[in-house]
Amino acid sequence: MSVTTVGDPSYRNGTTRPTAGRSRQHDWRFVLVGALLSFVPVLIILQMIRIQTDPEQVALLRERIPRYQGVVQLIQPPRGLIYDRWGRLLAGNKTVYEVGVELADVKNPDTIADTLDIVLDVERSYVYKLASQEASETAVYAVLATHVTEEQVQKLQVLKDQMELSGAGSKDEKKPSLSGLVFSPMLGRTYPEKETASNILGFVSLDGQGYYGVEEHYNPMLAGRKTTQIFPLDPTQAKDMPSVPPGASLVLTIDREIQAEVERILDEAIEYHGADSGTVVVLNPRTGEVLAMATTPRMDLNNYREYLGQYDTDNPFNRAVSYAYEPGSVFKILTVAAGLDSGAIKPETVFLDTGVFEIGGIYIYNWNGGAWGQQDMTGCLQHSLNVCMAWIASQTGAATFYDYMEAFGIGSLTGIDMAGEAAGRLKRPGDGDWYDADLGTNSFGQGVTTTPLQMAAAASALANEGKLMAPHVVRSMIDKGYQYDIEPRVLSTPVKPETARTLSEMLATSLEVESSVALVPGYRVAGKTGTAEIPTPYGYTSNQTNASFVGWGPVDDPQFLVYVWLEKPSSSIWGSEVAAPVFSEIVQHLVVLLDLPPDAIRQQLTQSQ
Amino acid sequence: MNRVQNLTQAYSQAPWRIQMQIIGGFLLALVSIAIVAGIYLNVSARATTIGREIQGLQSDIRKLDREIADLQSQVAFLKSAAEMEKRAKEMGFRPIGMDETLFIRVPGYVERRTAVMAPAPGPVTLPPPSQPSEYTESLFAWLQRKIRNSSFPFMSLQPFKVQP
Repeated sequence: MSVTTVGDPSYRNGTTRPTAGRSRQHDWRFVLVGALLSFVPVLIILQMIRIQTDPEQVALLRERIPRYQGVVQLIQPPRGLIYDRWGRLLAGNKTVYEVGVELADVKNPDTIADTLDIVLDVERSYVYKLASQEASETAVYAVLATHVTEEQVQKLQVLKDQMELSGAGSKDEKKPSLSGLVFSPMLGRTYPEKETASNILGFVSLDGQGYYGVEEHYNPMLAGRKTTQIFPLDPTQAKDMPSVPPGASLVLTIDREIQAEVERILDEAIEYHGADSGTVVVLNPRTGEVLAMATTPRMDLNNYREYLGQYDTDNPFNRAVSYAYEPGSVFKILTVAAGLDSGAIKPETVFLDTGVFEIGGIYIYNWNGGAWGQQDMTGCLQHSLNVCMAWIASQTGAATFYDYMEAFGIGSLTGIDMAGEAAGRLKRPGDGDWYDADLGTNSFGQGVTTTPLQMAAAASALANEGKLMAPHVVRSMIDKGYQYDIEPRVLSTPVKPETARTLSEMLATSLEVESSVALVPGYRVAGKTGTAEIPTPYGYTSNQTNASFVGWGPVDDPQFLVYVWLEKPSSSIWGSEVAAPVFSEIVQHLVVLLDLPPDAIRQQLTQSQ
Repeated sequence: MNRVQNLTQAYSQAPWRIQMQIIGGFLLALVSIAIVAGIYLNVSARATTIGREIQGLQSDIRKLDREIADLQSQVAFLKSAAEMEKRAKEMGFRPIGMDETLFIRVPGYVERRTAVMAPAPGPVTLPPPSQPSEYTESLFAWLQRKIRNSSFPFMSLQPFKVQP
């Protein structure tokens, strides 16, 4: 039996297994490379575990996810439009721009600051501070100016292009460059009628908030609903732009032509009579629709930043709804209405005016201090006798008198759909500051405050068969493609229809008898003047007054009511000389714009139907 | 024992055949994955392109909306009360006086109506906006739908009896 050595041939031929030796020698290199290659994945896995389990990391990532997922964009729907009653645009939208900087692209913040200072009148230091920020993960874009006009943006674009063409250098070279400046279009508010009806409309600020008038009252509806949407950066996840409906549009009761005409007449009257300010309210007494509401001062709503220089506590944005004053003798129509309706007096009731009436420990005198002798109630209104009014109030009784005043809406908001309405003040028996004497003074419009709109609304009840309609300026709303009409609403019925008719007749007669300058040829109107002394800390002024007139017509079928108030006129203190002619002039234009034929023709046309 | 070996050998695959089968299977899987990935890429690319086109069109809509608003405002400026009065005066017109107005009866004349900018709300309800399924369903859902649709004719077959 032979024994054969079995083994590696190389071993056998005396090479002492050199390959195996080298292989073992170099094994550590493979191990090292393997370990190195494994090290990084192991680190990645450990990091993944750490990120997944460390609460801080989890929170941080959750916060960062949206930033990397997409761009968050605020989608603001176009603001609703505002039209007059015939569909003429009063408040619309136009393209304006937001000017900003992409911080990573800014080469020369000095140039940007200088240019915007000159072209947009934006403070240089403010722009420089924003534009010179270092771009970072949190600072990408900065807004420099908003509501920039198309013309201004075109100027900036031309400058930017010129600088680019002239070979603007890098950031270090500090060559002039507007690189990084970007313009984003958006819709901003515009008012085509400029000053006309500005006190009714109000305005919209840069942040889209409506202020004053209709813009503030209906802001939530006009502005629509803003939406925030994340647009994914991943192109495979391109998202639809959400359908954001525009804000609701409004059709006002205002007639632009009447409004413009009334404003023109009022401005002329203020200038002619040297008054501090003026207010006119034109209503349809049948519906409570405000056809025009003119007041001063007014402003071009396209430059609404002038607001701060024009308005303050003594000069509210809209005197017609926000300024309560002692109306004076125009208030007498309510006193007589209360007396007639309660049965305390009749039109033919005779009052002996001795020139003085004692009530609550004070003496009431007439406006001229005289005694007017025997007067029926029409005479009391015609001569505007304070003594007679105080007597009527005392005959009516305090409780009844104030109940009627409340029913006429005195001392409470009319609820008109405009921002900033004032309620005025009506003291009542039981109030801490009410005295018996107040009944006497209140009867002729002293010691009680109302806004011009409140007085106009109260008087409109007398023109509308005793029904007080809620005054309003919005006729319809247009939302989601449908038009919703607002139906006229009865606020109260302070007097009976026959009382209203009787008083209208008495007022029309009193104007005719005294040949008032308020009369309008061809049209029978009813009305009452008012001359109110102005209360001061030292008592009532006698040389400065509030001159007013309230009137309506045609008496047999009232279609309009006009309230005129001129504050502190210098040409004359009397309402009959200052406010009454303004009423007449307004009505002469109004009947043309309303297509109202003279009474005789109207009656003739009605009979022939 | 030899018989068993002979049988086993007879039915055994040659090693090269087994290798070919493995390679073939691997290639088949690879090709299948490539096809699915290709289809997925193709569909995704088309969806993305269309999505971007939609975004572009939406951007155009916003631009047109702004242009319409601009034009509306421009027209309103040109037709504002002050502008109209100025133009009327330039053309020789003047405001009519109260005593110059002539009222005549015109049979059939319809009085001017206040603005009607939109229809009054009625019982008509619009259908909800629909989006094509191409924009909403996943590839897997699409495949499922296609398969279901292709097999539908067979699924609808009902067994029937032959009347004697």
